Amino acid sequence: MKARTELLAASAVVALFAAAPYLAPLVHLDISIVSEVLVTAIAVMSVNLLLGYTGLPAFGNAAYFGLGAYGAALSVQYLGFHFIEAILVGTALAFVGGLILAPFLLRRRGIYFGLLSIAFGQVFYFIAYRDTDLTGGEDGMTITRPYFGIPPAHVAIHELSFYYIALVAFVLALIAFRSVVRSPFGRTLVAIRQNEARVRFLGLNSDRFIFVALLISATMAGVSGALFALLINFAYPLELDWHQSGYFVLSMILGGAGTVWGSLAGAFIYVIGKDIISTITPLWQIFLGALFVACVLGFPRGILGSLAALLARSSAPAGVDPNATFDAHTPSEVNVGP
Amino acid sequence: MIHDLAPQIFNGLVLGAFYAIVGIGLSLIMNLTGTINMAHGSFMTLAGYLAFTMVSRGTSFWFALIAAPLIAVVVGIVVERTLVRPLYKREPFYSLLMTFGLSLMAEEIYRLIWGANAVPFSPPPGLASAVSLGFMSFPKFRIFIVIVLVIAMIGLALFLTRTRFGLRLRAAVQDTEMIAALGTNTQLLYAVNFGLGIFLAGIAGVLAAGMLGLSPTSGNALLMPAFVTVIIGGMGSLFGSIVGGLLIGMAISLTTLWIPAASEVSMYVLMALVLMVRPRGLFGEEGIFG
Amino acid sequence: MAPETILLDASHVSKVFGGVRAVDDVSMQVREGTIHALIGPNGAGKTTFFNAVSGYAMPESGHVSFRGKDVTRALNWKRVAMGMGRTFQTPSVFPELTVDENVRLGVRAHAGQAFRLRTPRGAAAAAVDARVDELLRFVNLAAQRDRLVAELAHGSQRLVEIAMSLSTDPVLVLLDEPMAGLAEAETDRIVGVIRDLRTRLGLTVLFVEHNMRVVLSLADRITVLDRGKLLAEGTPAEIAADESVRDAYLGEGVLEHV
Repeated sequence: MKARTELLAASAVVALFAAAPYLAPLVHLDISIVSEVLVTAIAVMSVNLLLGYTGLPAFGNAAYFGLGAYGAALSVQYLGFHFIEAILVGTALAFVGGLILAPFLLRRRGIYFGLLSIAFGQVFYFIAYRDTDLTGGEDGMTITRPYFGIPPAHVAIHELSFYYIALVAFVLALIAFRSVVRSPFGRTLVAIRQNEARVRFLGLNSDRFIFVALLISATMAGVSGALFALLINFAYPLELDWHQSGYFVLSMILGGAGTVWGSLAGAFIYVIGKDIISTITPLWQIFLGALFVACVLGFPRGILGSLAALLARSSAPAGVDPNATFDAHTPSEVNVGP
Repeated sequence: MIHDLAPQIFNGLVLGAFYAIVGIGLSLIMNLTGTINMAHGSFMTLAGYLAFTMVSRGTSFWFALIAAPLIAVVVGIVVERTLVRPLYKREPFYSLLMTFGLSLMAEEIYRLIWGANAVPFSPPPGLASAVSLGFMSFPKFRIFIVIVLVIAMIGLALFLTRTRFGLRLRAAVQDTEMIAALGTNTQLLYAVNFGLGIFLAGIAGVLAAGMLGLSPTSGNALLMPAFVTVIIGGMGSLFGSIVGGLLIGMAISLTTLWIPAASEVSMYVLMALVLMVRPRGLFGEEGIFG
Repeated sequence: MAPETILLDASHVSKVFGGVRAVDDVSMQVREGTIHALIGPNGAGKTTFFNAVSGYAMPESGHVSFRGKDVTRALNWKRVAMGMGRTFQTPSVFPELTVDENVRLGVRAHAGQAFRLRTPRGAAAAAVDARVDELLRFVNLAAQRDRLVAELAHGSQRLVEIAMSLSTDPVLVLLDEPMAGLAEAETDRIVGVIRDLRTRLGLTVLFVEHNMRVVLSLADRITVLDRGKLLAEGTPAEIAADESVRDAYLGEGVLEHV
């Protein structure tokens, strides 16, 4: 995509979202649902960086998302922190979570990375679930949304103001994400996905890159989680559960792996779709499951991925490569050397 | 002290045996096809519910213990052939997502058929009482569970080491292309292997239903410990799964005794410790990384 | 360094796979400025030896030293930083990136820019551009720079890989069967590039090859492996005349027409 075309398209999308408070009621959509789309999109980006760009099955990002949520909720509940402070605490907690888990995760690749992500991610779920005195356990913890916190804006945040905060956060996250994936660092991540052994034979320690990618990813997921807790004024253990990680991965695939805007598209489809289905039928989980199945079998490149494949001059999409020859016969990891 | 400790150790053994058998099933499927079967717990639950339905319609428990897992196997093989097989040539997270979706659907379907609440599934009358071991008494059903699970593991070991098919399966895990070149039908291997994993899950599912309760999500509760089992034991090692399962069974049951709130977290601590010392798990192949 | 400096010194290297000694007590030295060939029948352990030398898989026993330093346990990316480059039998490239991006990744890695979160501008960027141009011209792929590597012919993918190995400024290049699966014309192109590696860039080359015509015309020294063991070492003329080498290759017919 040419730089000018992209800037135009981006401006159009942002303008559309800026107008959403006026447009959403026309389609009977609550503005807080659109807020949820934007907040979720940040978490989906965090998965996209690891899975879509670096090729690491990130099935544990709910851990960082949940840490962000609990960090925000706990700091509001027990320390009386304001909105901005709560978000910083949540993000910091997620970052620390990433620091703790990354050394374990970056030793392995492929499905083993996925397995370790799922397993390790779940530890925080059980902590939140069991530590009932602090977190309210299974029932979760309800908070009152704090004031914004930066004088003179010492004001309460209502749904509309929250929406614009979420929009600003999303745009900032998108800009950060885009510059990361376009940077030499980001290009090296893509190179790691395609051929890690060659990256090492270019004299680069790929583990270092993956470590940093994990930390960036954890931080983004943390921002998303903190915003989410303050959106719904509630933090609960299922935010940390592997199911939540799976929903992020699904959203990423829906939108298109390895595309900058795919995360937004995926989050949009997932959040709005879930909202619609769950108001129509109590059996929404069947539809959600079916969506997984259909997505995997039907359009593995996602909406934007398929679109990009159509537009791109080559048949190779920007995202998941069509010749992704994960060889079923050798499920062990690809040797990248010691 | 001994009066508290001894039963907990035995409980740990029983739990550990469950984790081991579920972990072995997961390992079998993962090793051969690279599929992390997130629906493994759903197949356990399915077998549990099938047995529950059979027994409540007057079938004997013993019949249900074999028949319910077998029906789950049939369902499993159909799923593998139609939905999972097309993904073998794709990146492994696709099959993970697929089985994840299936587990979501299964949960809701169980809820529709058998209700959202736990259903009572009690062990057969002959196994309902407890047996006194002198210093402690222990429910017969739990002893029975250990016996069945041990028989299942021995049976699997014999199958893998003594039958032609089992040997081929093991060889295929090492090098599928070679086996394909030798003319073995690899697709048949995949299907049978998947079925084998589900059969183990099914037996565990029926037994777990009698001990841990039966609800739409009861099987999934065993999935995470089973993952940890596989990681601790070393991915690729079935023997490792047995050791890993027993270790975390013990860890969970002993922490339940002393610090109940930390019971689940203890297995993660154990996993972290093991991985620090042995990044590939206790019996994982150090392999190509030397 | 004097022409006689030993650049790579492997002593008593062994590697076992499932009870089989794929490489068994092999010692060899590569002198600076030479083109050194490693040959042997299939299963002789050539690639395994290459892996031990380049750090792709560590040897069970023995020592490898490079530029006078012991690198037996050094990680592969550290050896690259010390000046070792390598290619693989199947070209190890980034298939979905363009030729330019492939080489650029290597150049940036060597310039210490790979970890940057901002694309460098100004002089740093110009230096990278110039180096990418230079490497692409060296392998004669400047015209295809914007094509995806996956779309290129096999031989061109090899050249991309060679350019990438050169991007890190190595002094020693290890080429694992650079001519495998290539047509005659492409083979000649690679042969020309290997010659240029020494004459134009002053590099030392160690390569594995099956094509004896190429080996005998290109190499200054030849080391022969057979079933994991060192069989012979010498000049092309010595090797061509060696009885044990002829025996090892008997039935393969490769030496018959030389």
